[in-house]
Amino acid sequence: MIAALKDFADRFLGRGDATITVPSFDGALKPNQLLETAETVGQFDAPEDLATDGKALYIADGAAILRLDADTATEVRRFDRVITALCCLPDGGMAVALDGREVQLLATPSASSVAATFSDSSISAINALAPGPRGTVIATDGSTQRLYRQWVYDLMERGRTGRVLSLDIASGSVRTLASGLQYAFGACTAGDALLVSESWRHRVIAIAADGSRRTILDNLPVYPSRMSPASSGGFWLTAFAARTQLVEFVLRENAYRRRMMSEIDPAYWIAPKLKSGQSFLEPMQGAHIKTMGVVKPWAPPRSYGLVIRLDATGVPLFALHSRVDGVNHGIVAAVEMDGALFALAKGPGRLLRAPLAMIDQELRA
Amino acid sequence: MSDIILALRNATKLYAGVAAIESVDFELRRGEIHALVGENGAGKSTLTKVMAGVVTLTSGTMQINGVDAAPRTPLEARHLGIAMVFQENSLVPTMTVAQNLFLGQERFYNRLRGIYIAAQQFLQSLNFDVTPTATVGMLGAAKKQMVEIARAVLHQAKVIIFDEPTATLTPEEKKYFFDLVRDLKRRGVSIVFISHALEEALILADRITVLRDGKHVVTDDAVNFDRARIVQAMVGRDLSNTLYGRRKTTVRPAGARVLTVQNLKMAPMVKNNSLSVFAGQITGVFGLVGAGRTETFKVVAGVLKRDFFHGGEVILHDKPVRYRVPAPAVRAGIAYVTEDRKVEGFFETMSVARNIYLGLLAKVPGGRFLLSGREADRVGGSWVDKLKVRTTGNDMKVVELSGGNQQKVVIAKSLVQEPDLIIFDEPTRGVDVGAIVEIHELIQQLADQGKAVVVISSYLPEIMALSDRILVSRQGKVVEEFSALEATEEKIMYAAVH
Repeated sequence: MIAALKDFADRFLGRGDATITVPSFDGALKPNQLLETAETVGQFDAPEDLATDGKALYIADGAAILRLDADTATEVRRFDRVITALCCLPDGGMAVALDGREVQLLATPSASSVAATFSDSSISAINALAPGPRGTVIATDGSTQRLYRQWVYDLMERGRTGRVLSLDIASGSVRTLASGLQYAFGACTAGDALLVSESWRHRVIAIAADGSRRTILDNLPVYPSRMSPASSGGFWLTAFAARTQLVEFVLRENAYRRRMMSEIDPAYWIAPKLKSGQSFLEPMQGAHIKTMGVVKPWAPPRSYGLVIRLDATGVPLFALHSRVDGVNHGIVAAVEMDGALFALAKGPGRLLRAPLAMIDQELRA
Repeated sequence: MSDIILALRNATKLYAGVAAIESVDFELRRGEIHALVGENGAGKSTLTKVMAGVVTLTSGTMQINGVDAAPRTPLEARHLGIAMVFQENSLVPTMTVAQNLFLGQERFYNRLRGIYIAAQQFLQSLNFDVTPTATVGMLGAAKKQMVEIARAVLHQAKVIIFDEPTATLTPEEKKYFFDLVRDLKRRGVSIVFISHALEEALILADRITVLRDGKHVVTDDAVNFDRARIVQAMVGRDLSNTLYGRRKTTVRPAGARVLTVQNLKMAPMVKNNSLSVFAGQITGVFGLVGAGRTETFKVVAGVLKRDFFHGGEVILHDKPVRYRVPAPAVRAGIAYVTEDRKVEGFFETMSVARNIYLGLLAKVPGGRFLLSGREADRVGGSWVDKLKVRTTGNDMKVVELSGGNQQKVVIAKSLVQEPDLIIFDEPTRGVDVGAIVEIHELIQQLADQGKAVVVISSYLPEIMALSDRILVSRQGKVVEEFSALEATEEKIMYAAVH
């Protein structure tokens, strides 16, 4: 009863859980145009994830794995389902998530036979893979209720069924490291712990070997996604969209959200998107987005591009942005190779390359 | 008759030996609109207060219509035809418009009906749409301005001085106000107006005078100015020989985020303000008066309350907080060092040690039943040594200290609470140069120790000398962020006024 009264009061006064606010992009997240000015290495139909073994860059594009050789993408393997996650393993093998429901291990990226398969009826949205400790592969399962491609449904339903799984290569067993997460999307080992992005909670958590959780980075102004290690220590954290007060408002208006989901095409929902500005039917394109027909870079973003560089303790050092007036939005993966950062902008289907020296120079300027 | 209605020659005004204005020459032509611009502390207000008889010159002369005149009171200035419209208007809110208009001209028997009729006729003659029977407190800012102006005209003022007249006006009200000022000019009234909004000066004024550090920099026709030239004149001091001349070559990296302010609202000063403060860094907050800087951080520290409905969020160490009074904020590790130390900073008749000890007591939940004089002396004494407060003893009263040492006591009172987040609001206002250096060193040390430090200052060189990152506030919210390495005075000032 008291909780109900508090909830009513909070909604009336705009306080507590009903506060509709978002943090600003400041400090290390101060906006720039580094992602927008990055070189476009290639354009793909349905790019999803990146992986590197330190020698070559692999791209998951639809149902195929492509290898980037001197700016040319060559197909090395094709599957019967779309790939939703990809990672290179220390032994030269590769782990591939298919349709978010199954993980296959390959001895080499081009191997025709499958070394091991992990599937379970409860797995539905494997969206990131990473090499784990002691011969394991870490997988994040965004939701047990929705498929990977239905991530926006999970957000609108305020899903909290995300899990982190440990796949034991030797035994073929699947162990749940964490559950009840609000869309787990991306993991990376950090010493004995495991860093996991929790997108709908806008945070990165560390899961210790004993299963205890600790928040590393909280209250981000974006929806964080996949992570990868940086060569000089620390991590690259991607974010596929930025938060807005409008979406936060919709997320607390249950009745409105239910009607929107039942009556409106998902393409036009008031929800974060991987790309925007494609149709006049999209919401959020009034004067708060454009002035004299020109998109304001600081406008509330329906889609956004961001890669954050974290230090080893998870403190942001700097960020690369593609702002509202840009196109390189929906960054879902970023890996470092050969002194350059490769980022995958899923919105326009682009693979971007930004040399680390250039990033350093730009940030110093 | 000379074209010059009011002139100041070699005008100097000293406050306790410090020059607020120094050897300033100023001329106001008959029927002109003359804008006075400059940074906070440039001497604009002092200059206009001299004209209006609020303060008198220490040296120099003032002439009205070519005759020496030195009004010692606003009443004398009014008799000389000079009226001043203050930013915080001087109307009595509980009286009607008509009563305010004729305030000071009452007779033994006042016929209210007669006053209302006279006021109605007078306001109509000015084309002011204000009801004479309305209570002033119920009027909007623009209407209050009109009443102030009407009162000035009623007193047959030939010179009207406006101090930040548009600060509280909406865009529509501003346009109306501009029309009023132009109408006054047509009537032959000379106007002096102070404004931080440079575009207003450029649009409205015939001539512009720029003051800097109490000195006259330039006076020229408005058509010869553009924004860049005004900003350059406002900030273009020679930095090489000043306390603040050193440019930063390195900045401290940001640590963990200590404070996040999200969409904070406190009408009318803070409007949807968002910012973050990080550990191990000095975050400088610059803005002109009325930019909402102080109010934002007073809300953070529980000194002021945010809007009741949808007032936004303050997040300290990743937890939302809402302080209605300062005590819980102090216990949570927030220290706010006030800009107005004499009113809010200390108990002036209490000893230095007791004042510092009070800071410690503020952190104890529920206070203490028994107080220890010995502990007060010990705690106070250690901080007096640490901050090099120049006293004759711990029992010396704070009121007997110099401004710089008083400020050190205020700082000690906050630091004794061992805060994680320290907010310095105008930390060196009214402080002598030697103490400024020591206070700056102290602030730097706090950041080096990993504390999150915020410095709010209207003095650009101070912001640039201290800050690792600089937030620029304008019209109630942070509008720009600079790294100290990339910031220039021109860039900051442009962001603050643009």
